[in-house]
Amino acid sequence: MKKLLVAGLALASNLALAQEKVVVYNWSEYIDESVVEQFTKETGIEVEYATFDSNEVMYSKLKLQKGKGYDIAVPSTYYVSKMAREGMLQPIDKTKLSHFGNLNVDLLDKDYDKGNQYSVPYFWGSTAISYDADTLSEGEITSWKDLWDPKWKGQLLLTDDIREVFHMALTLNGHSGNSKNPEEIKQAYETLKSLMPNVLVFNSEAPREPFLSGDVSLGMNWNGEVYMAQQEGANLKYVYPKEGAVFWVDSFVIPSGAANIDNAHKFIDFMLRAEVAKTNAEYVGYASPNSAALPLMDEDVRKNPAVFPSQDDIARGEFHHDIGDDAMKLMTEYWQKLKAGM
Amino acid sequence: MDFRRLIISVTLAWLTVFVFLPHMLLVGTSFMSPDADHLVVWPTTLANFEKVFTPVYFTVFWHSLELAAIATLVCLLVAYPFAWLLSGFKQRTQAILLFLLILPFWTNSLIRTYAIKIILGKKGLINSALVSMGILDEPVQLLYTEFAVIFGLVYLLLPFMVLPLYSSFDKMDTSLLEAGKDLGANALQRFRHIILPLTMPGIISGCLIVFLPAMGMFYIADLLGGAKNLLLGNVVKNLFLVARDWPMGAAFSVIMMLMMALLLLMYAQANKLVSKKGGLNDENL
Repeated sequence: MKKLLVAGLALASNLALAQEKVVVYNWSEYIDESVVEQFTKETGIEVEYATFDSNEVMYSKLKLQKGKGYDIAVPSTYYVSKMAREGMLQPIDKTKLSHFGNLNVDLLDKDYDKGNQYSVPYFWGSTAISYDADTLSEGEITSWKDLWDPKWKGQLLLTDDIREVFHMALTLNGHSGNSKNPEEIKQAYETLKSLMPNVLVFNSEAPREPFLSGDVSLGMNWNGEVYMAQQEGANLKYVYPKEGAVFWVDSFVIPSGAANIDNAHKFIDFMLRAEVAKTNAEYVGYASPNSAALPLMDEDVRKNPAVFPSQDDIARGEFHHDIGDDAMKLMTEYWQKLKAGM
Repeated sequence: MDFRRLIISVTLAWLTVFVFLPHMLLVGTSFMSPDADHLVVWPTTLANFEKVFTPVYFTVFWHSLELAAIATLVCLLVAYPFAWLLSGFKQRTQAILLFLLILPFWTNSLIRTYAIKIILGKKGLINSALVSMGILDEPVQLLYTEFAVIFGLVYLLLPFMVLPLYSSFDKMDTSLLEAGKDLGANALQRFRHIILPLTMPGIISGCLIVFLPAMGMFYIADLLGGAKNLLLGNVVKNLFLVARDWPMGAAFSVIMMLMMALLLLMYAQANKLVSKKGGLNDENL
């Protein structure tokens, strides 16, 4: 009996060793867990799941581990170009992705990754303006410029994100939000300096919270946060400013040191299925780049401008991409000056 | 004996691996050159320390210092009369009141900070009470101001001020006050010449115990101050994660450690001075 048990254990551990796996590194609260279980059930591939809550942390970790340790990561737009340029990613074999055709072509082949060599869009979204419709009337706010109105003294919320806030100011000055030009960045700093008296709070944890508690009724926000606030009963509206909103895409990538490349492709392909994309979208609340999933979604979600912007809004806006370390360092210096009141 | 040796060596090994070595790495990094691809590269340089001494960081430093100093002063003004009254109660009542003072520490300070947000908000407890009583017509902005930061710091650190002061008052010989009275000293003179000198050790240690952590409580400034007030911790975080200038971030941390060491040294000196003058140092607290 004992021998049998030992033999059984040995067999089990052998099986465990032979078990296929894939190691996924994703944003926190960015997937419906039932989808992961379903993947394992169907393919027999075990999913090791880890989460991060900022691009910077994810990047630093992969950089220190020289691209090893994870089979899939989910960087935002400008980190895809940065990581690809630094050789931290490997090309994705699209012949292994039978559902790649489900993706919205408008979100493919962007500047940050021409031809989607290294990245497959997972979710996308925007940074724009939101306001409390109980306090402000419709049409009162139509542009970034409106935030500079002195009547909002000490009342605005800005996201606590250097790139997004500078993107807004650069766009307002008529430049690209991805500008690396030190003169343009300096001008954006001057522009932001004149906005600072209006700023009450910086928040990138959960920008919807100060709106929900009634402390703020106007400011920058992310579309998914506004969607969530609406789900929680707030009368929050989302406006794409006429100068153009900030757009970003979070994409699946395969790090250069990934150990289970085949399984990574299988996982990505599974996530591209219309049904799976729909389940994730309804859980997460950001826009799904999966065109095939749209007809399956609730009309309220599909027609909500806070979730899906119009073609015009997309055309006016600009996607983030990498601006390089020098420009980033310069922005960080100006950012610290802004916050120090200088 | 063996057990003792074991405990000591385990503790030493722990401190070496998790405290000493990381700090040495930090100090080492602060003398290296930054590099986008490898984060840190040779050659060694002093440039990182030069970059720290720029006006923007001086402003940030001064601002942290100011907030911490105001919070310490408010703590002292609130805690001093409280500790005095406390020492006048019966032993049993004193124990109960001290227990009540410590009780909030059983809840995580981050949770209590979020609770302050709810109290200070525009639809919060204070504003709705004042508006419904007709004292205010409209809610005032309390949250996301420097007032909120100081409020949070005072709330969290007040017990640290009360305890050393209470200990000083508790040991004060009340017969000295009676003697002073008999000899014709009025209330103000008795306070100035008897009570204040005798409680000075409590004041000094209370102030230092409050001031040091107040400089370090960055999350209070982030949550209650609206992240507008850049504090030293935010600077370090931005240098490491966003600008990815590890050597400069390390240099900044090293300078902060030196500052802490300096303050602790001053604390030790003050203690020595106090015990020389025949007062109570912190060994008696």
